[in-house]
Amino acid sequence: MTRTLRALIKDGLWAIVVAGLVAAVIRFAGGLGAGTGLNDATPWGLWIAFKLTFVALAGGGFTFAAVVYIFHVKSYRPLLRRAILIATLGYSSFVVSLIFDLGLPWHLHRIVNWQHHSVMFEIAWCVILYLSVLILEFSPAVLEHPWFRHPLFQRIHHWLHRLTLPLVIAGIVLSTLHQSSLGSLFLIMPHRAHPLWYSPWLPYLFFTSAIAAGMMALVVEGFLIERWFRRGMHLDLLTGLGKWVTLPLALFVVLRLSDLLLRGILPEALDGSWQSVLFVAEILIGGILPLVMLAAPQIRQSRDGLLTGAILILAGTISQRMSLSMFTMHQPPGMNYSPSLAETMVAFAIPAAAILVYLFFAEHLAIVQDDLPTPVPEASDAMNPLVLVNQGRPSRALFARWSGLATFVIALALPAMLQLPITKADQSVQRARGWETLIVDGDNSGYAVRFPHQEHQDRLTGELGGANACLTCHHLDKPEDEATACSECHTEYYQAQSIFDHARHQQVLGGNESCTECHAAEHVRLSSEICQNCHETMAPQKGNLKFNSFAPSYADAMHGTCLECHEQEAVKQEKPELALCSTCHTHRMISNPLGR
Amino acid sequence: MPALKQVGVLVDVTRCTGCNQCVDACIATNELGEAKHIPQETSDGLSADRWLSIVQSPEGGFVRKSCRHCLDAACVSACPVGAMTQSDEGVVLYDGEKCLGCRYCMMACPFGIPRYEWDSRAPLIRKCTLCYERLVEGKLSACVDACPEQAIAFGERSELLGLAHERLSQAPSTYLPKVYGEFEAGGTALLYISNVPLDFLGFNGAPGEEAYPDLTWEWLGKVPAISIGAAGLMTGLFWIIGRRMQAEAARKARESRSAEEK
Repeated sequence: MTRTLRALIKDGLWAIVVAGLVAAVIRFAGGLGAGTGLNDATPWGLWIAFKLTFVALAGGGFTFAAVVYIFHVKSYRPLLRRAILIATLGYSSFVVSLIFDLGLPWHLHRIVNWQHHSVMFEIAWCVILYLSVLILEFSPAVLEHPWFRHPLFQRIHHWLHRLTLPLVIAGIVLSTLHQSSLGSLFLIMPHRAHPLWYSPWLPYLFFTSAIAAGMMALVVEGFLIERWFRRGMHLDLLTGLGKWVTLPLALFVVLRLSDLLLRGILPEALDGSWQSVLFVAEILIGGILPLVMLAAPQIRQSRDGLLTGAILILAGTISQRMSLSMFTMHQPPGMNYSPSLAETMVAFAIPAAAILVYLFFAEHLAIVQDDLPTPVPEASDAMNPLVLVNQGRPSRALFARWSGLATFVIALALPAMLQLPITKADQSVQRARGWETLIVDGDNSGYAVRFPHQEHQDRLTGELGGANACLTCHHLDKPEDEATACSECHTEYYQAQSIFDHARHQQVLGGNESCTECHAAEHVRLSSEICQNCHETMAPQKGNLKFNSFAPSYADAMHGTCLECHEQEAVKQEKPELALCSTCHTHRMISNPLGR
Repeated sequence: MPALKQVGVLVDVTRCTGCNQCVDACIATNELGEAKHIPQETSDGLSADRWLSIVQSPEGGFVRKSCRHCLDAACVSACPVGAMTQSDEGVVLYDGEKCLGCRYCMMACPFGIPRYEWDSRAPLIRKCTLCYERLVEGKLSACVDACPEQAIAFGERSELLGLAHERLSQAPSTYLPKVYGEFEAGGTALLYISNVPLDFLGFNGAPGEEAYPDLTWEWLGKVPAISIGAAGLMTGLFWIIGRRMQAEAARKARESRSAEEK
């Protein structure tokens, strides 16, 4: 990897971070509603899914601590610092992301309230304590730096060294608890989680897959730092990981499948829905395939085979976390969650920042411990940063010089792009389905307007030609939205709504004795007189209607749509009856309107 | 408040005419004001500024939707800081001073009740409190007071359960043979008798007789044992493997020494 390419990648990461900072302003200035696509039906989204992923990828921290210190496999020591650094950054990412996700992060100190029946409480404490353990475990690497030559720091270093074993054991216990508890978090949501991902064994599934993912994160990282630093690969150790990862991975796959089998849910996996396809892909490509690959010595001893297996396992674990917590979560119709731009920018900025911090530590501290005697010298096309003379391709060098500036300009332009009005796309129109005659009964009174939809459609398509005729009446959806439910704006569309003020009528007609004025028999809505019996000439005033002003009420929308055209046509065709109320409001009762 | 062991509210769906006077009373009493209609709201009428709504069941009945005040509430067990609490009478209350805003209560509630102030920089969870301040003063919840049809009854839950079953047996042709809320989610303070199925109010098809906190307690109850077990196992393994390696090293040293001597 040339210096130019490395500079470009770093600039790219910085761009993502700066974009995330811009999004952070939107999030904290406008609240979660402005910063995210979350809503009352889906209060958890991308940030939670990413948090689960961060912690899963950080599973190497406790796994390697156990391998090196508890199982005394000293040969893996060269990977330990890298594992602990990745874990520290994974958990830091979790905490930063949490601060974005919490509505009131400044109440975080309230976590001292003892709530042992809350999984979230347990996770919060485990994460706080484990992050502290990780920082202590990592601090010797920092204290080795020449800046910390003062005897005081050396004393601390010495004491930390003596504390290693208790810290390691504490770290393993805390990790065991919260890695599994992140799965338990969803145990209380059988009504939200998809049956293919929900399981009473979620804690065990999360624990085993975190070990596998943590090991494989080290493998992928090994290949990356080899390209980045041209050293420090330890291929033999990584191949060893490829061998041992089959244990937790096999355990995970067996647990996952046998749980579904035992609970009789596996048939659902093959029903052809997109969730079932996702599930089959996740378990085959992200579970069984890498298991078979890495179990074969020829494959795991080849570089490509090992790397492919590791990437597949990571993909499978990430898919399991994100599917459970986001993709397959129950959403009521009309309330689809999709992450907002700002939310996505924050979600990716946090790992981007973590990678930059990793590179900083790896460049300045003894993190990447060599297995090669001398670093491979830089390739000759690298630019000399001091004299800005490039022996290779000048265009790339020029690009590298200015890409830093470009990065900031693009990142700062992002908020402006956020505000850009996006032009409304062509509304594709579908013909109305269902009955030829629509029964419109917005207030569920049982007295419906029978709207001959087919007739109108035929007439309009004949007159105006093409599918655009539908747009005469239907505006279809909100801008930039393809499938808005009518009820989203016309909020009383599916709801009980009454334009009839019962109390007022009761009062005007003379209190409790007046019931029989309208209700001849039982005192229920359906037994009442038709309003028109009294209101032939006396229409209710607009102010008495209980409609919200947010969007036209359903009734107003219908009236507005029909009346204008009907009035024009009445004049045009000399058919005055077209504009009369009674043409549509025929006061014909529809049968069994309320299912009673 | 009348000394209640466990508060109860019985809703008779057949009596509700959908007049929304309970909703108006709720808005007035809790000073919820004009509806803001933020885009994050659901279509069932509940939101941070509407704690009670009358929804229509798919079959057409008018059904009150509000916090069910579960006897063993999922939201109370989920809250990491104890912002959701249950009063002695079983009313589920919320304290914004403690709240972190993690929204785990919203995720955990099988009825999808708690709502969030998405448009606020210091957002709080919002939901029905059964007008707890009024209850303490000895008054009824505003919605109960306002209902012109006596569709909502308030009292001791066990007595209301009796009343509900009495009505069911008196008019078996009117009602579905079930008191909704008697067993769901381990039982809720809000009870419904109805002529239309009310399963649409919660669970999304998941089986729901179990108290939701039990689902996580099954794991959390094991935490102390797992902690001690893991710590013990790790210490033990460290010691045993270390000893064996020392013994192995000593054996090797002995062997090499004896080889030298030979």
